[in-house]
Amino acid sequence: MSGGRHILWLKVIWVGTVVTALYLPIVSVILASLANTRYMRFPHRVWTLDAYRAAAADYTTVTLHMISLQIALCVVLVSVLLGTIGAMAYARYDWKGRSLFQRLIVLPIFFPQPVLGLALLLSMSALGIAPSWKTAVVAHAVWIVPIVTLVISIRLFGYDVAQEEAAFDLGASRWQVAREITLPALWPGIFSGALFAFLLSWSNLPLSVYTSGADTPLPLWLFSRTATNYSPLVPAIAVIGTFVSGLIVLLLLAVRQLLARRT
Amino acid sequence: MALPPPALTLTGLTKRFGSKTAVDDISLDIRDGEFFTIVGPSGSGKSSLVRLLAGLDTPTTGRLHLRGTDITEVPANRRPTAMVFQSLALFDHRSVGQNIEFAMKMKGVPQAERRARALDLLRLVRLPEDYYPRPVTQCSGGERQRVALARALGSDPEILFFDEPLSAIDYRLRKTLEVELKELHQRTGKTFIYITHSLEEAMVMSDRIAIMRTGRFEQIGTPDEIYRRPNSRFVASFMGEVNILEISRTKGTPHFADLDLPAPQAPGAFAVLRPEALSPGAGEGPSFDALVTQKLMLGSRTQFHLRAGNTALIAEVAAGPRSALEVGQTARFGFDPADIAWVDS
Amino acid sequence: MRRNPGLWYALPLIVAMLLFFAAPMVIVVWYSLMPPRSFALTTDIGLQNYRSAFADGYGRPLMWSLLGAALTTLITAVLAWPTAKILHRHTGRWASLVTALIALPIFISESVRLFGLSVFLMPGGGILAGTLNALFDVQIGTILNTRLAALVGMIYIHFPFMLFPLLLGVAMIPADRIEAARDLGASSWAVLREVELPLAAPGLLVGGLLTFVLCLGANAEAAILGGRAVTVITATIEQRFNYAQDWPMGAALTVLVIVVTAALVFPAVRRIDLNRMLRR
Repeated sequence: MSGGRHILWLKVIWVGTVVTALYLPIVSVILASLANTRYMRFPHRVWTLDAYRAAAADYTTVTLHMISLQIALCVVLVSVLLGTIGAMAYARYDWKGRSLFQRLIVLPIFFPQPVLGLALLLSMSALGIAPSWKTAVVAHAVWIVPIVTLVISIRLFGYDVAQEEAAFDLGASRWQVAREITLPALWPGIFSGALFAFLLSWSNLPLSVYTSGADTPLPLWLFSRTATNYSPLVPAIAVIGTFVSGLIVLLLLAVRQLLARRT
Repeated sequence: MALPPPALTLTGLTKRFGSKTAVDDISLDIRDGEFFTIVGPSGSGKSSLVRLLAGLDTPTTGRLHLRGTDITEVPANRRPTAMVFQSLALFDHRSVGQNIEFAMKMKGVPQAERRARALDLLRLVRLPEDYYPRPVTQCSGGERQRVALARALGSDPEILFFDEPLSAIDYRLRKTLEVELKELHQRTGKTFIYITHSLEEAMVMSDRIAIMRTGRFEQIGTPDEIYRRPNSRFVASFMGEVNILEISRTKGTPHFADLDLPAPQAPGAFAVLRPEALSPGAGEGPSFDALVTQKLMLGSRTQFHLRAGNTALIAEVAAGPRSALEVGQTARFGFDPADIAWVDS
Repeated sequence: MRRNPGLWYALPLIVAMLLFFAAPMVIVVWYSLMPPRSFALTTDIGLQNYRSAFADGYGRPLMWSLLGAALTTLITAVLAWPTAKILHRHTGRWASLVTALIALPIFISESVRLFGLSVFLMPGGGILAGTLNALFDVQIGTILNTRLAALVGMIYIHFPFMLFPLLLGVAMIPADRIEAARDLGASSWAVLREVELPLAAPGLLVGGLLTFVLCLGANAEAAILGGRAVTVITATIEQRFNYAQDWPMGAALTVLVIVVTAALVFPAVRRIDLNRMLRR
């Protein structure tokens, strides 16, 4: 059918355009990082990795990454812990207030992030707490914990609770049920939750703006340096930062593979 | 010869959820090695009852004894019983072998012994040995049934419970598995307690059947007793299509109210007449004229939907010359009073 | 396995949300009732900040933010619908690859992506202008530093937030319903209006809500791409806090944004059954 082929081509072109549009700016960042002039004149007269050398030599690069990493790892820890427990209430048990709980718990997701950050900043200063990377962890967690809860809940919805009763019926103790049945079944959800938490925290700008104080995470530094004081160092560090987060994700995936092979 | 002690003794077993009574004061002995089936519609309390027996719930009142030992307070993981769940509840993240070995692993049985026993069980439930390392998620519906059965047997239970495990299986596979389950029962000699909503399924497999309704047993008996002598319209209607004729005593002598036929010896308020007991042609028993409104071929038998006066009736006739009637014809139908099961309610 | 411990599992999350989500909202409201330029919380409360919020021309940035959010929501919905339909219809390796490719940028910081968009659009030596000049000797202008650029940035950043809920929504349309409607004589337009949109409505609602609310707080797009062409409400709020050092005024404007958000989110969240969307 030639009509069908036409439609297929239209679809391919449409999806291709969407993907291209999404990646053009990202490619642009990489291209911009290969210059050595303070003012962009594309195509560059000299294509160079100077900016990367400068970034590698600059201690700021390390500091920025360490702060972002610190925040992201803490957010992962908090959100996996709270998210797993919360998902039990969200999807595993049917209890009296569940429907209300399910509705209230998603509210932070549907909330303007800078406003959330501001509200936290005001509360902190009312309590006399100076903003730092720790307060940024709190801000990130308020937004990310509900998301991780939902991610783990998706897994729990597909989980037959009778499995726990079956294990119990076959002689397992409570602890053995948790270790042998519940946690392994939830593990893929917990892992994707952790991945989400890490990536969302690593890349988040609006929640950090007001809450991170003197500790500048990567996205915030990039944001302020694009507005003022631009140099090819900015796109170079942007590329490095993205690359590092990709590397960390790959590392996590490898760890999961290893764990999966052991059992 | 003395009777063996009952495998399970229920004494006044009751379970209430809030104001709702799911299991209402049930007392019963289940014999050792018996295939006992509890049949009831959804909401009759049969699942609640089996959960009490398995130890997954505790009764509100009443006691439960296993071979004379009180096990009312013993939780499921320390009872020598195992359940095959309605959803099967297979451990989806584990292999077939790991599922079957689960109970042994919990008991600390060494790996090699577990494996040997699991392979035995695979043979017992007629699964090939190379299924051992396979993920359960790759098994078909029937294979999953067998894995669930093998897993329950893996705990070497004295009693096996089945909570409607065949309800989601298609008809032909279900028939096969019913026969296999009956054979397995004979081979293992274990006590089987089976829950279903299908009396037909219960008939095929059971030594005794209990019909359950709103938390109580309506009737307990062998399949033959239940089939021939239902003690209520509820039990009778559970068997599928039956004719239930009300007896009227207003005109002095009892008679079939709807057919306007005398019923000289009527020991109950309703006569239950199975479709195959109603046949064309007048015999020695009562007979009446009826219009054929529908004719359905059931294979070896033919079903006629009849109308006599204002009453709709169903008759089933073996395929042959007597099934030559057509829709729209009126014919005489009769029955033998001995085929009637009398019930009072 | 006897008692139902749902509430106990919910408790840590409830406590955390009360402390770090609900309580800060209360404190913002409190600050907004303080006299102008005060930094402490006292019982000296009044509505003067709200009076000046309406009198002193703060309505304009709020209006720009609302307009931008509405336009972005509308446009991303129109762009995401066919994309979601295509991705849902075609399963297999290519579709999953494309889905992953679309999801990936969410995890790259928006400052990086917006920066990329700005160097792409930059006049003269920008990626687009420079390439066209070098290859075809064509000189083009730029939309950078206009409201349009800010809007393009918002659409670019928020497209995935519309697409993925919409994908969940589109997945809720059983294929046989569309065939049934076709079989009963419905045109493509009628199928869309009568069958597809109502069935996918939960996804559309979640995506729309998410996009709108995120856009309402969006600041970076206007700052990086819009130049001085447009001032959004979050920029005004930031300006009140940082430069004007007028916290109560900033808090009052923040409360206005919260009120608008709540007015949209509460009724919607009551209607959406996230359970049903996630449970497959």
